[in-house]
Amino acid sequence: MSKGPFDYAKKTSMRLVFFLTFIFLYAPIIVLIIFSFNNSRRGGNIVWRGFTTDYYVKAFENESLREAFINSIAIAVISTVFAVLLGAMTAVLLWRWRFPFKPAYEGLVALPIVIPEICMGVALAVFFSSWGLYVPPDTPWPFNLSNIIIAHITFSFPFAAMVIRTRLQSFSPEMAEAARDLGASEYQVFKDIIIPHMKPGLIAGGLLAFTLSLDDFVITFFTSGPNTVTFPVKVYSMVRFSVTPEINAASTVLILMTLVLTFIAIRMQKPTDIAS
Amino acid sequence: MESWRRSLPVFGAFAGPTTLWLLIFFLIPLGIIWTYSFGENVSLTEIETTWTTSNYARIFEPEIITLFWRTVKLAGIATVICLLIGYPVALVIATADQKWKPWLLLVIILPFWTNLLIRTYALLNILGARGRVNESLRWVWEQFDALFNTLGIDGAMLIGERFQPIGFLGTEMGVVIGLVYVHLPFAVLPIYSALERMDRSYLEASMDLGAGQFRTFFLILVPLTSAGLVTAAIITFIPALGSFLTPDLLGRGQVDMIANVIERQFKRANDWPFGSALSLFLLYITFIVLAIRAVIDMQAAKGRRA
Amino acid sequence: MINTPKNRAISRRTALRGIAGAGAVGLTFNMTKAFAASHTGTVNFYNWDTYIGETTLDDFTAATGIEVQYDLFADNDELFAKLKNGNPGYDLIVPTNDYVEQMVEAKMLTELDHSKIPNMANLDPDFLDPAFDPGRKYSLPYMWGSIGIGYRKSAVSKEPDSWADLYTSDEYAGRMAMLGNGQTVLQMALKLMGKSLNDWSDENVAAAEAMLIAQKSRITAFAPDNGQDLLLAGEVDLAMEWNGDILQVMDEDDDIGYVIPKEGGLLWEDTLCVPVGAPNPEGAHALINYLLDAEVGRDLAEFIYYGTPNAAAKALTSEEYRENPAIFPPAEAVALSETSVYPGQEIVQMIDAAWTRVKAAG
Repeated sequence: MSKGPFDYAKKTSMRLVFFLTFIFLYAPIIVLIIFSFNNSRRGGNIVWRGFTTDYYVKAFENESLREAFINSIAIAVISTVFAVLLGAMTAVLLWRWRFPFKPAYEGLVALPIVIPEICMGVALAVFFSSWGLYVPPDTPWPFNLSNIIIAHITFSFPFAAMVIRTRLQSFSPEMAEAARDLGASEYQVFKDIIIPHMKPGLIAGGLLAFTLSLDDFVITFFTSGPNTVTFPVKVYSMVRFSVTPEINAASTVLILMTLVLTFIAIRMQKPTDIAS
Repeated sequence: MESWRRSLPVFGAFAGPTTLWLLIFFLIPLGIIWTYSFGENVSLTEIETTWTTSNYARIFEPEIITLFWRTVKLAGIATVICLLIGYPVALVIATADQKWKPWLLLVIILPFWTNLLIRTYALLNILGARGRVNESLRWVWEQFDALFNTLGIDGAMLIGERFQPIGFLGTEMGVVIGLVYVHLPFAVLPIYSALERMDRSYLEASMDLGAGQFRTFFLILVPLTSAGLVTAAIITFIPALGSFLTPDLLGRGQVDMIANVIERQFKRANDWPFGSALSLFLLYITFIVLAIRAVIDMQAAKGRRA
Repeated sequence: MINTPKNRAISRRTALRGIAGAGAVGLTFNMTKAFAASHTGTVNFYNWDTYIGETTLDDFTAATGIEVQYDLFADNDELFAKLKNGNPGYDLIVPTNDYVEQMVEAKMLTELDHSKIPNMANLDPDFLDPAFDPGRKYSLPYMWGSIGIGYRKSAVSKEPDSWADLYTSDEYAGRMAMLGNGQTVLQMALKLMGKSLNDWSDENVAAAEAMLIAQKSRITAFAPDNGQDLLLAGEVDLAMEWNGDILQVMDEDDDIGYVIPKEGGLLWEDTLCVPVGAPNPEGAHALINYLLDAEVGRDLAEFIYYGTPNAAAKALTSEEYRENPAIFPPAEAVALSETSVYPGQEIVQMIDAAWTRVKAAG
């Protein structure tokens, strides 16, 4: 292939920019992973004192950290299920019908996406406390996490809706019409035609909701209650108190989980779909 | 698309849950802080909505204005840097071989999938006075120092008596680095998709007509992808405005942004009405930014028609 | 790995825990008999991070059959905010002295039933009638300490024995950390000005604010609660901090010292309280009583490394702990220091406004 003036990917200067960006994005994370094996209790991120996996053991043995980790996963799983459900309904609603004030409704659905996280965190925190919506402390797990789960569903389902709606746009309504003409009920049309078509969108939306939930700090920080410490909130309090290598170890585990999830996502579809 | 009237029960089944959810867990909470923002603390634990505007008046005290200005400034600088880095990065991805594209894209998105706190913490670790970045710089400095010594040159004039670590943490520079780090993937994606959608033949036509590479870049390529640039700017700027964690950890209490003040109102200062007013003010700024975008879009549409 | 020499501090604490653990087994038998039948359920304990022994709560459960749900807060404000609109379900909380006043005013604390806490007899009598809670109706002391200056001995010209070294001098510019809590930071400025740290008159606040704005560019960090890490990592040479936090790093680095400046510092006391609406006040009282036990208290004190108000526990502690001037400061330093008094909501908001102005300054 000849090197045209717009083959930016082949220009050394442009490749350098990309490479430097790559370094910028990954160097901190790689240093964090390397230093999670550093055999130094304090100031663990400064001087290399030999290899150890002790802090993985310590992080794993740290009960509150483990609980926080499990809480985070549970919140992500549960909120993803609901987010995909609500997201799919919203997507179908916006895709299928004309109704009064539709642009306003679309704006409303998009609002949780654009609103600054801190506003939403504060609003939900005030809402839960001013309405006395406390979860009793002896509520069985995972129901004691419901406030955080509600918050996560609220900010993640519009994202899922967006992804699913994009997928639906490639669906020709004539197919559904044809099925109806052939005597299929509304339910059958939905179950046998629309849902199978939506499936890649549902998976992509689900993955997005899941990562958004794992990624969130601010909203969780404001809405967490008794016995509902999540992994990021726990790590935040550890960072504020003192830096221990356990944080590096635990963070590395979460990063690896993200990698695994991404791998699964790639196996299921092309990354370009995930990106869009 | 069909009218909602045609299949009312089905429409209701789809519209009901979402609408109820948004109403209860989104609009009502916003409504509550809206009423709180017109409230007063009557005791330690009670707030009475007296429809006072004093909370909003306090936003215009010089220190709060200063902090809002700092917030807008830092978020703005971070956005500009994100666009400056994001554009070439998106160009590389968009013009790469088909088989590489997904992977290059993934490389950029992957950090965005990692927890925000972990990313900020990772950055915090390497930016300290004795973090990896400064240690690497120190190593470079020592090499130069040794070189000058062997050459017999007085290096102190050029590189200083001893190594001075760069103070990233607790400075505006550090916070901006953090904001760019966190939001860069947001900036790349919309630019990339705008580049993908663009018709390459415009570029070739421009070149055929004798415009140079640079002119083609700035007069054809950038304007054609301006919609993507605007989207990138907005989805970088808005979350950056509300950043809490980045200034909190990287700013070390020296470079507070408005979200840090909001957080303090709900904790230390125990002044929920003022905190509510501040968060809503931040929301209004967001709306203004979105409105500006809508106006730009409309004008662009008008331009196309004309 | 834990017993390598450079982890001296840990190994010592671990060893001590072993001894205390052996003690606790003996205790377990007695207490199981006495209490297992009468106490059940779960106590929701809301405490500061790194503020309990590693096995204390398990030992308590083993001894009484009461499960403990342990949850952490990072500062008093977080604690207050969580309880503000009603108790979300905590049985036992650990507010600092001025917050006890604030919470009593807000009717957030229940009166303690002293008859259920026989181990109160272990307490040092000096702690039984504090100004912030006369007669100990609502709170019992857990740990106490001071706020002073931690410093790197090899990096200072002389011991930084005045708040002026931190608040007005430029000798350590770019090498100093202060706490992140505006009220405390302003209070130490008041001490430097020779005022009471509870004297929040307008001119005092304005003067303290001006002092901080002038000094701000020389301060490296307003650290939330990790000034000791900055000190240890060599990022700063002076850090305004809680004594216990400095003590933790003094254990690891002999080059670090702690001093309460000559103008006096702040004394604080963290207390055990039962919030209104606690689902299991019985269990909370049992846990308070357990924490005030002499041997349990010894274990706690030597692990957390703050000053214990528990005279019986203190008597059992090692000399190294008991004689440590950073835990139990010299009497004259204590005499010059003060405890913080809750100034009322209006003043709190005035202080926050001043702090916001410091934060906004360029």
